Amino acid sequence: MAQPFTRLTLPARVQSVRVFHQFLRDGAAVVGMASDDMDKLDLVLEEILVNIARYAYEGGVGDVEVGYSTQGDALLVEVTDHGRSYNPLEAAPLPDLTLGLADRPIGGLGVLLVKQIVGSLTYRHQDGKNTVSFQFPAHTATGS
Amino acid sequence: MVAIALLANNIMHIEATQVEKAVLLKVSGRMDAENADEFENACAVWISKGAKHIIADLVDLQYVSSMGLRSFLSAAQKLKSASGSLILVGLHGLPLQVFEMTKLNSLFPIFETARQALDSL
Repeated sequence: MAQPFTRLTLPARVQSVRVFHQFLRDGAAVVGMASDDMDKLDLVLEEILVNIARYAYEGGVGDVEVGYSTQGDALLVEVTDHGRSYNPLEAAPLPDLTLGLADRPIGGLGVLLVKQIVGSLTYRHQDGKNTVSFQFPAHTATGS
Repeated sequence: MVAIALLANNIMHIEATQVEKAVLLKVSGRMDAENADEFENACAVWISKGAKHIIADLVDLQYVSSMGLRSFLSAAQKLKSASGSLILVGLHGLPLQVFEMTKLNSLFPIFETARQALDSL
């Protein structure tokens, strides 16, 4: 059974990322997550939050909420903003990884990292809110 | 409380040393969205002083996000356009996985030690 969500809301800006890292690590410690996995979780959360900080409010200000719920030895994580409708998984083209150093575009790597680490991510836009959710570690069995 | 201890040191340190034909930048800690440009700026300072080859010693780098990768990529492109190079040494753990997942590891000369990197120049 998934437990109730614990939530934290902060301004959607890069300077909030470390606070959210600490917040989510508290949940990760509850499920006994290994230190290496905590770093990967930090990475996934940072990539999602940086995307929101840069694009969700189109230069304006707004908040972002991170929530987590424990499920077995995994965390269910939800990241919600009230910015423009924006699916991070579809918005940015993945970079061409075959290009050489001089031609490789700087950027677009965050979504690639998220996809490789969490496997599947869900996005929904409802009642003016964008919510990205994922389970971490991704391989843990659910529904127990 | 364990988690708090784990993240107590969020800072990144960069220590520069001129060694033979290169500048050695020892990068330690966590390179995230908030501090990634410090590495790019450190490289830019040395490039402006005429450095052609920069060796980034990453043996004590514990974490790097895509913003950090941008910083590595940007510095490497600047050095390449000046006929130089950004060489990575000591890449391991999550930072190594991040370079591999994005296939950036194929774009940088990578060695285990700074000595090996210096001998390649």
